[in-house]
Amino acid sequence: MIEVLNYIWLGVLAVFQGPELFSILGYGIPASPAMVLGGLLTGIAVGATPGLAGPMAMAISLPILISIFGFTPDALLPVFGFLIGIMKGATVGGAVPAILFNMPGTPDALMTTLDGHPMAQNGQPRRALKIAQLSSVTGDTFSDLVLFICAPFLAVFVEAYLDQPEKTALLILSISFIAAVMGGSVGRGLLSVGLGLLAAFVGTGQSLTPRLTAGVEGLSNGFPLVAAILGVLILGEIFKSFEDTIRNAVRKAKAAAPPPVGLIDDLEKGDIRRIAPHVARSAVIGTIIGALPGVGSTLAATLSYTVGRHRHEKTHGNEEPRFGYGAPEGIAATEAANSAVSGANLIPVLSLGIPGNAAAVFLILAADSIGGFNPGPAVFNFTSPDINPELVTAFGIFTLMSIGNLLNWTIGGRFMRSMGVLARVPSPILLPVVLLLTLTAIYVQETSLFALWVIFAFGVLGYLFRRSDIPVLPFVIAFILAGPLEQTAHEAFAASGGDPWFLFRSATSVIFMTAAIASVVLLGRGRQAGG
Amino acid sequence: MKELFKPIAIAIAAVCTPAVSSAADWTPPGPITMYIGFAAGGGADTQARLIAQGIEERYGWKVLPQQLTGNSGLSLAAELAKAPADGTAIGMVVSETLTYSALAAGADDIQLDKFTPLATTASFEFGLVAMADGAFDSWDKVDAAAKAGNPIRFGVASDRQADVAYLFGKSAGIKLNIVPVKGGAGVMNGLRGGDLDIGWVAGAQSKPVKQGEMVNIASGIPAALKDSPDAPMITDLGSTFYLDGYFMFIAPAKMDPAARSSLRAAIEEVLNDPATEAHTLVTNGFDGADVITGEALDAKMKGLLEDATNLLDEASKG
Repeated sequence: MIEVLNYIWLGVLAVFQGPELFSILGYGIPASPAMVLGGLLTGIAVGATPGLAGPMAMAISLPILISIFGFTPDALLPVFGFLIGIMKGATVGGAVPAILFNMPGTPDALMTTLDGHPMAQNGQPRRALKIAQLSSVTGDTFSDLVLFICAPFLAVFVEAYLDQPEKTALLILSISFIAAVMGGSVGRGLLSVGLGLLAAFVGTGQSLTPRLTAGVEGLSNGFPLVAAILGVLILGEIFKSFEDTIRNAVRKAKAAAPPPVGLIDDLEKGDIRRIAPHVARSAVIGTIIGALPGVGSTLAATLSYTVGRHRHEKTHGNEEPRFGYGAPEGIAATEAANSAVSGANLIPVLSLGIPGNAAAVFLILAADSIGGFNPGPAVFNFTSPDINPELVTAFGIFTLMSIGNLLNWTIGGRFMRSMGVLARVPSPILLPVVLLLTLTAIYVQETSLFALWVIFAFGVLGYLFRRSDIPVLPFVIAFILAGPLEQTAHEAFAASGGDPWFLFRSATSVIFMTAAIASVVLLGRGRQAGG
Repeated sequence: MKELFKPIAIAIAAVCTPAVSSAADWTPPGPITMYIGFAAGGGADTQARLIAQGIEERYGWKVLPQQLTGNSGLSLAAELAKAPADGTAIGMVVSETLTYSALAAGADDIQLDKFTPLATTASFEFGLVAMADGAFDSWDKVDAAAKAGNPIRFGVASDRQADVAYLFGKSAGIKLNIVPVKGGAGVMNGLRGGDLDIGWVAGAQSKPVKQGEMVNIASGIPAALKDSPDAPMITDLGSTFYLDGYFMFIAPAKMDPAARSSLRAAIEEVLNDPATEAHTLVTNGFDGADVITGEALDAKMKGLLEDATNLLDEASKG
């Protein structure tokens, strides 16, 4: 136990005594907390801008951050700080245009428009924003606490009870589950996963001659990871937005009406008491959904909103607005849920190395690019007296998340309420800027023109995926997990002495494999029957 | 402040040292690209970067470190072979890359004769490692367990290590399940997590061995290990091959002799100067600098190449 406390303390120290950003009057400002603040403000601004989302900002800032802080383990916490700040800020900021202009700033803020915008039109935009911020930060904090407690236990459990064959089966289960739950149909999900694996197998492997390169020398080390992922996720989205912009007239942001005389635009007495049960319920729903890889915040928000409306119908008084007509409970139910997803999403990342959403993808990408931290069960190895630096980094990440929450509680709300103006940035200006920034960022990191060709090729692929309604995230997650999957499978196969049935030799791995098949078959059927 | 002092330090060094430095007779025609065949942030990468930094500070030459990893250093070799041989392109690999790996891959453009070896920096301290106080903390226990019918899970980080392990098991008459993992760190993680029983580690085991977490149950090099002088050599246990080798700098073939001697002198001076960070790192993390240059290095590489040829022949007999 003392060991654990010692590691927590080391993690906190690593954040506050890390590299200095600059010093004022001899007092060094530690880089990591400052980067959380910078990331948080960036994230709120990005979330408040329709057409931009957290992952996009994370993608662009990652190469820039790495070029600032370098490839040393010292760089890990400042870089993670900024990325976590963006992740946290964007979930809060997404509510701003949703409430003020009926335009969700991020996809998961869609349900916020249902009650947030009516309340703003009734003359209380400030009250709506405050409720959104309170609920969002509470949900986020709750799920972070669950993460801090669950991730180490889950990792220790996995490391103690799962051998290489079971770990292989668990990876197969995760990839199948993600393919089954994301996007319009299981077939499209599987297609996306299959192409992701195929792309990841180019140039990698253990043979001395690189495989699947078709003689292209630039591919002998595989597709550059960052370029491929940014291409599919960011360029693909930009290409699609270009097309949307050309096809449709740009939506104009409409300001809310001024408040009627006599109505006070601030939190009302009893607001907190009214939203508390909704926030609590949604935080739990969001956390549970977030812990499953691949099931996004949009589902958490929808589900929580529906459950919340059901409860509200039964209990609300006659004078209170119903869901959909500016109910504070509606804003609270949505915002608490979609923010609770973000912390819980890191449970599979930190304990198993399996990313469940785009934000988690970029955290893994950061760890992979910098080196010195490999998210996975081996991180939570409480060695003593030799310090496990990865574990210190993990507790450093928890510290950064707590700092992010504190900042979100205190200054996040004020900053958020001043961000309404960003919803008016027209996309014909925004998109080229984002495109240019992404390409520059890639070139900064990879310093080769070949990487730019790769990002364009993957951008076109991402665009085609979106146009054919194939989800892109399973592609990216499979691309990232292909390496660990092949490695563990290879090790398990070799350690068993070349047993072709190594995946079916223990009860645990048989259960995982059955669940993998069941998730594809059953979830596919369920959706067809439902839709 | 550091940025301010660096040029001053370089200037002072430049004024004070030219008389003693043989490297000052030659100046690179442009910035030197230093390809690094190891993952960013690891021990070998840090070593290369600190040597680059040491050369910059001492001679004022511009050195640009650049990662070029993959295929056991062969990606680097293929790229470096095409670079100009005027001293503006050098690379850091392990001796295994240009001997065993190049032979096994077979392509003509990456063989040892397409390169100029410049200098080794440190030698491997290969140990056969197991967890301390475990079921395999001595060779007798490994041998007994294997003969009792339990296959031993043996972690290796390269094809050469796999071949040596395979032939070792064959000559010792025991069954080994050889598990390829990523680097010495992968072997040690496997041991800690109980996924492996024993495995080769090239020097990174030093710390856990000193702290009593792991043991070297045998030495994989033709000498006793510094951390475990009592561990038997694998040749005493039946192996006919060793895993000796070096971290080393190479350049393209047919290099200008002045450039070769200046570069190798520069590397040697930086590594042997106790004031440099490179020296400190190599002393603490790699059991000291082991710099071989010139004809001695050519002879060494020839010997390693012969060993690799024999190893491949022996292993392919099945």
